[in-house]
Amino acid sequence: MNELRSTIYELLVKSEEAYGTRDAIRYKVKDAGEGGRKETKVQTKTYTQLREDSEHFSAALAELGEQGKHIAIVGATSYGWITAYYGIVNSGSVAVPLDANLPAEDLCELIDRADVTTLVYDEPKASVAQMAAERCGRLKHLIAMEETAVSGALSMWELIAKAPAGIGCEPRPEDLATIMFTSGTTGKSKGVMLTHRNLAENATALDMGYEPGTVLMTVLPIHHAYCLSMDILKGTSVGAVICINDSLLRVARNIKLFEPNMILMVPLMVETLAKKLEEATFIPAPLVKAKVFGKQFHTICCGGAYLNPAYIDLFKKYGITILQGYGMTECAPVISTNCNSASKAGSIGKCMPNCEVKIVDEEIRVKGTSVMRGYYKMPEETAQTLEDGWLKTGDLGYVDEDGFLFLTGRKKNLIITPNGENVSPEEIENKLGANRLIQEVLVRDHEGVIEAEIFPDLEYASKKKIKDMQGELQSIIDAYNKTAPLYKRVFSLKVRDVEFEKNTTKKIKRF
Amino acid sequence: MLEQLKDIIVNYVEVKKEDIRPESRFIEDLGFTSFDFMSMLGEVEDVLDVEIDQAEAANIRTVQEAVDYLSKLA
Repeated sequence: MNELRSTIYELLVKSEEAYGTRDAIRYKVKDAGEGGRKETKVQTKTYTQLREDSEHFSAALAELGEQGKHIAIVGATSYGWITAYYGIVNSGSVAVPLDANLPAEDLCELIDRADVTTLVYDEPKASVAQMAAERCGRLKHLIAMEETAVSGALSMWELIAKAPAGIGCEPRPEDLATIMFTSGTTGKSKGVMLTHRNLAENATALDMGYEPGTVLMTVLPIHHAYCLSMDILKGTSVGAVICINDSLLRVARNIKLFEPNMILMVPLMVETLAKKLEEATFIPAPLVKAKVFGKQFHTICCGGAYLNPAYIDLFKKYGITILQGYGMTECAPVISTNCNSASKAGSIGKCMPNCEVKIVDEEIRVKGTSVMRGYYKMPEETAQTLEDGWLKTGDLGYVDEDGFLFLTGRKKNLIITPNGENVSPEEIENKLGANRLIQEVLVRDHEGVIEAEIFPDLEYASKKKIKDMQGELQSIIDAYNKTAPLYKRVFSLKVRDVEFEKNTTKKIKRF
Repeated sequence: MLEQLKDIIVNYVEVKKEDIRPESRFIEDLGFTSFDFMSMLGEVEDVLDVEIDQAEAANIRTVQEAVDYLSKLA
């Protein structure tokens, strides 16, 4: 059962009151076993522990004078990350979740742009913290998610142990809770400002029928709105057991370990797991399902990118329901979703109860309590995206006679990769175009991978006596790929021998 | 190591074992998606009883690079 919650504080407190001693989080830890060999064990934290730890962290932030400030978190999904997030937003501060896969320089830029004064980080991101301490002028505190203090940083768990329980602060629904960065269509990422109401109501407005104790396994990056809202906030609100997948390499192994009932996925994962299901064609479907997903598994919630409806039928044969949804960070993030009580093939479901949808010139527009306050310190971009409270999604679609939403295309120039990441072609074009050999470049999606089509500067090539143009351009791309996270890498190169066709403003015609 | 890796690769992408060369690139040449690739490395972890770092794995581009990386771990 789901009851509407209007602040993240209310969401956590009510859940703790209802499910206190039940498991909230399960995660893997490594202990020294027999013969010194490390053994993997599952650690659990109850709802009461989660609430108490996060309230102590809120108090610790207040003691540091950081209440009401912007506090960034960078790291993989962990109990520490979740505790830090609840502690930050419930202290009246603003959490800024950052993509741990970004290069350190890019993270420092986001820390500066979001006016961050404290950085919470996990051990693999220690080098980012060190660089941020040197470069980011506003940064006052570093907090490591470690048991004891490390050089130049406070220990999160020592702070929690020493701080008093709670600070008597209760954020209001309209208070800013989170700034999440999302790829912009102009190449510069935008900080989406989401309030407590945006996030809490998005997570709780729709009763998806989850029972308390439902076992979820969280596999998506936690800095994404989809994972944060639907795995963590919604999971908490329904009293679910949230199991943390420690690596994308180990999804299959961790499914066996945690035996989840459901997983939130992006289409890329569905496609890979479909191959696993189809490998064993002569074995009865229930046995295959039990082998790949475990006996308890029944539901995949899928969003972030287009999913071929054929996968929904395929998984159905194995007793697994795929519920396809649609959203964007600017809407905290879910706009519509199929659910067990209302679904239609090929559609992205009905609009969330706290939102309304209208179609203007084929474009989907959304209004409601999930729609962001705006982009942080980007008034022009905010004005372009919000019109009289309506969010212009940049996606094209229609609503059928039964109220189901269907996507038909995209107006905005953004690559949505099969793993749900939004990539700005301009950002990559600007980076590649900085090389003298590249006169013009167009970056786009090509059969699920990012392709760069390049018109080289032939004069420059002749001056430099470049003979192997393909090889030379590939080496430029290889050098770029080394600095880019996996989802922003270019895996296909096309070389042109004529200039691109331009429009009247001398811009390359994209379509 | 190369042969063991090839045996695992053919379970993930439609490619013949004899067509897999050390210089083959996982995504560009063999048709892996990024998640296929991560899942395959998860299986490699089980088969070789090694622990692969996800961030380091993201920098592996070719079959030979995978063999070199795994040889250091094994």
